[in-house]
Amino acid sequence: MNSTSDDKHKMSESGLNEAEPPKIKLLIADDEQEFAATLLARLELRNFDVTTVASGTEAIAAVEEAMPDVMVLDLKMPDLDGLEVLAQLRKKYSDLKVIILTGHGSFEAGREGMELGAFDYLMKPVDLNKLIEVVRDAHRQG
Amino acid sequence: MSIRKILGKLDAFIPDSMRGPVDLGTKERNYRQLKSLLMAAMLGIAMVPLLMVAGLSYYYYKDLLQKSEREQLEWQLDGATNSIEHMVDSLKSAIQFTTKGDRYGELLDQQNLEELLSRMQYHYGFFADLGVIDANGIQQAYSGPYGLTGTDYHNEKWFRDIADGGVHISRVTTGFRKAAHFAVAVSAIDPVTRQVWVLRATIDSSTLQKFIDTIKTAATDDVFLVDDEGILQTSSRFYGETLSRFSQEIPAGIRSGILDDGANVFEAIGIIEDTPWSVVILKKHYLQQEEWQDFRKKLFLIVFSCMLAGILVVVVLVEKLTDMIKKTDELQLTMLKEAEHTNKLASIGRLAAGVGHEINNPLAIIDQKSGLIEDLLLMGEDFQYKGVILKNLEGINTSVGRCKTITHRLLGFARRGDNRLETLQVCDVLTEVLQFLENSMVKKRITVDLQKNEDLPLLRSDKFQLQQIFLNIINNAIDAIGEDGLVSINSYVVAGDIRVVIQDDGAGMSEEVAAHIFEPFFTTKEQGKGTGLGLSITYGLVKKLGGDITVRSQVGKGTAFTITLPINNESV
Repeated sequence: MNSTSDDKHKMSESGLNEAEPPKIKLLIADDEQEFAATLLARLELRNFDVTTVASGTEAIAAVEEAMPDVMVLDLKMPDLDGLEVLAQLRKKYSDLKVIILTGHGSFEAGREGMELGAFDYLMKPVDLNKLIEVVRDAHRQG
Repeated sequence: MSIRKILGKLDAFIPDSMRGPVDLGTKERNYRQLKSLLMAAMLGIAMVPLLMVAGLSYYYYKDLLQKSEREQLEWQLDGATNSIEHMVDSLKSAIQFTTKGDRYGELLDQQNLEELLSRMQYHYGFFADLGVIDANGIQQAYSGPYGLTGTDYHNEKWFRDIADGGVHISRVTTGFRKAAHFAVAVSAIDPVTRQVWVLRATIDSSTLQKFIDTIKTAATDDVFLVDDEGILQTSSRFYGETLSRFSQEIPAGIRSGILDDGANVFEAIGIIEDTPWSVVILKKHYLQQEEWQDFRKKLFLIVFSCMLAGILVVVVLVEKLTDMIKKTDELQLTMLKEAEHTNKLASIGRLAAGVGHEINNPLAIIDQKSGLIEDLLLMGEDFQYKGVILKNLEGINTSVGRCKTITHRLLGFARRGDNRLETLQVCDVLTEVLQFLENSMVKKRITVDLQKNEDLPLLRSDKFQLQQIFLNIINNAIDAIGEDGLVSINSYVVAGDIRVVIQDDGAGMSEEVAAHIFEPFFTTKEQGKGTGLGLSITYGLVKKLGGDITVRSQVGKGTAFTITLPINNESV
């Protein structure tokens, strides 16, 4: 963690106060329910439109149902591997922005994910502000 | 029995410690045992055929010599027998000649007899006396030094044996004459009376001795006559004077024996026909004694020098061989130990990665939960404990941050996968890394002495990983120096590898510390300051690039890390 807690406070406050009118639609696919739920709560506090799913198949279904602006994808999930989900989604939705966020230590998988067209690769635990920054970058490019 | 079975039986003699390669277990090879076993086997192989050949030639040559010896002795015996028989024949015929015709009556006359004796003594020289014996065994006339007229011989065995026309030669006796002599008696029939009469002449046995002396040659050691009862008829070198006892049995032929004084002896005995005598030839030692001794001397010398040379060669060879085996074993053991060490590190790495991964997810949850609490607190109104709670949340955040560093490093430790090979110059990578560290070094007043070696060949390796390796080591050096110091970096080519030596003049470390420095979680820094993963990750990276890293350190003087990198990295 590079940022001091002071910086974080400021940024958190700014994050909380800045409510940009067009809400970014965010889909979080992670089988760690506790993690996903907490992340959802914090992002909603920051005016994001967040949905969470707990498996690969659900993630694909959710994208088909309603295309999100940005997707945060865990690599290790019980049914479908994150990379497979990514590969499948890239075929149909080539402009979907996907950020890989995983506790899985393999840089390999990260590299592979980037080659499959992921927007970025982040490792858990991640600083929320860093995540938001990346999500915003992704959205801006979308 | 098949060859396999025989080999199986032989195999049973090999001690356990000599089967198979060494291992790290308790089985220690007994080199002393190995050496003596090898020595015994090789000496056996070298010495047994040599001794066999030597023994064979010894006995064959001895046999050959004995055979030729025996042959020579055989014809010597033949010659001796023949000449003695010839002498006896001439003796007999001389006497027989005098009995021709009607000499009986004539010889009864003393004067005639003496005339005859003196004539015979004139011709032959060795007649001692002459006697004429009638059919009843009474000596009728006698000419000689003893007055023997009237002696009755009719009970004597020889007298009865030669009754008609025979010839008898007696053994040598002293008789009543008190002088060794023998007698030759010839019987004839008187044409007048038609009666058998006998002419008996005695001969001094010195005659016999003289004759035997004439047939003695240098090739023999002893020649003598012996009668059928084993009494010497002439004197012998070994058995004494005439009439001494030689032996009970007188078998004809040639045999070898051993004399009382231990010398080898050949004994040849030939029977002289129509006499009670046998001729005995003794040959002490061998005829070719000199040749034989010469041969034995040479054989001994050859065998001895061959054995000496053989033993020398075997000893040197076995010494070298066991030394080689010992060295190979030691090398193997070192390699096994190294492999074990690498294995250990790899498995620790896998474990660390697993743990890192498993902890990452709950850590992320803690992080988010505390973040959410913080968010909610900041949104809500002030209350009594808000400050305290925010302060504690900060503590949680700091701790999560520390854990994150650890887990990320742990995952990095086990990071596998392809290297991205590119062609690069080591010095360029070092320069980049140093730029990266410039700030902290300026702050701590640390000087860097990078010796740029322009002659270094280009290296095929992974730039990113090399950066991480150098970064870790130089960082370590900076930490070890503290403030005010020097880091010197050299690079050169050694045996087809590029070697980078990074040396600091910092605190240094003890041998025990240096021995553990590459193990994960080993750290000398105070708790909370280091993860103890930096150098183990570096070690893993260097190994992955096909290289090696070693450390040399002295307390108070500094530490030098040597990183060896293959120029053509083909293992990755």
